[in-house]
Amino acid sequence: MKPMLSTDLNVAETAVEKAKIEVKNLNFYYGQSKALKDINLSLPERSVTAFIGPSGCGKSTLLRVLNRIYELYPKQSAEGQVLLDGKNILDRSQDLNLLRTKIGMVFQKPTPFPMSIYENIAFGVRLYEKISKAEMDNRVEQALKRAALWNEVKDKLNASGQSLSGGQQQRLCIARTVAVKPEVILLDEPASALDPLSTAKIEELIDELQADYTIVIVTHNMQQAARVSRQTAFMYLGELVEFDRTEKIFTSPREKRTQDYITGRFG
Amino acid sequence: MAHTVASFDEDLRQISQLIRDMGDLAGSMVGASTKALLNSDNALAQRVVSDDAIMDARQRELDDRAITLIAKRQPMADDLRSVVGAIRMAGDLERIGDLAKNIAKRVGSVGVSAAPRDLSHSIDSMAQLVLIQVQGVIEEYAAGDATALAKLRNDDERIDVKYTSVFRELLTYMMEDPRNITACTHLLFCAKNLERIGDHVTNIAENAYYVLTGTQLPANRPKQDETAMSAPAA
Repeated sequence: MKPMLSTDLNVAETAVEKAKIEVKNLNFYYGQSKALKDINLSLPERSVTAFIGPSGCGKSTLLRVLNRIYELYPKQSAEGQVLLDGKNILDRSQDLNLLRTKIGMVFQKPTPFPMSIYENIAFGVRLYEKISKAEMDNRVEQALKRAALWNEVKDKLNASGQSLSGGQQQRLCIARTVAVKPEVILLDEPASALDPLSTAKIEELIDELQADYTIVIVTHNMQQAARVSRQTAFMYLGELVEFDRTEKIFTSPREKRTQDYITGRFG
Repeated sequence: MAHTVASFDEDLRQISQLIRDMGDLAGSMVGASTKALLNSDNALAQRVVSDDAIMDARQRELDDRAITLIAKRQPMADDLRSVVGAIRMAGDLERIGDLAKNIAKRVGSVGVSAAPRDLSHSIDSMAQLVLIQVQGVIEEYAAGDATALAKLRNDDERIDVKYTSVFRELLTYMMEDPRNITACTHLLFCAKNLERIGDHVTNIAENAYYVLTGTQLPANRPKQDETAMSAPAA
């Protein structure tokens, strides 16, 4: 199904923005089972897009296609096109390591490496770049500042990343993602395991990061989607039901299925 | 379709019931206040004054329920529109109650003798137009008829035209005989109150339309040019 687009002024503005990622006629299979059905959508650059929908609707699957992380698992395949700056990342010739430096990902459960806070960040950077100790120190500091974690950890950079609180660990993961200078950040339920204060910090961070990055967030928390995103895509049973400005989706959605879902009438 | 959480439906139902109750009360207050005015019925006027206290209490109850619902349920889409719409509609209904009370309070001042009887007909027919609007707006909202609400909003024009003619008529009576001035001034305020009630109905129709459709009616409704008739300022 083609996403509906409203014709009013704000969307017209969105439409002229450069699309960072364009998904075209995307189908996705887990073995024989079709998990995404002919998805078409365009994610504007330097802006937050939220994917919402009930469990099993395909929103996480769609996110996992955007950096081809699904290829880590057998029998999963995608057809169609995902264009990053106009280049199809599903193409076999795409260098996966390069792709994943451009498109970073943060997961639901914080996943710090069993190493120091400093090394959690430096480790990823070293895989792609050879830089001096001074440059690395600076890179780590900048990444931690970007993730609003610097003030809390600057005096214990050698402590284990796993000694941090859940909310701090999640911000460490965001710092790790930011440190390799990606262009796109994918967030899969980044705050669902966090308390409200940590959640607020993550949301504040998302708000700041969108000035420099294209962000896609999958969330079950509809208020969170309403708060942090500029566009929202509602998915159901593998289809993109509706894609529009966030305020439109949450105040007067076009599709009855969207309305029923966001008002708590099914799911 | 019902909400997964059944008590959410119950909360929304109570709010929409309060809007209906307030709408019914507004209709009966407007009807009774003009009837009291035309028949110089002080007892009926007194009832309107005491009904206003009930109206105020209903509005406070609705506000409480709506705020609590927003805090507890974080409504979205049509639910959000209906709760915010209810708060706004209740504000307009409460003002209609105030204006009806104001008409009722003038019953004693207009008195039995001084009121030019010929005027009864003009005020009465204006009041009938207003009453149809007040009763209609809540009925159409309850029936979910957005088209009827858009039409009803435009029908306010007829009240405005009627008001202009009552205004000129009252002016004529005052010029004819200065002893009419006191009564006619009170009646002029009553006519103005009826005209304002029409404006509140217009607001309610606009809100109800937005609640039902998610889109706003155009800011300006079609209006006749009344200025040529030396109409009073609104």
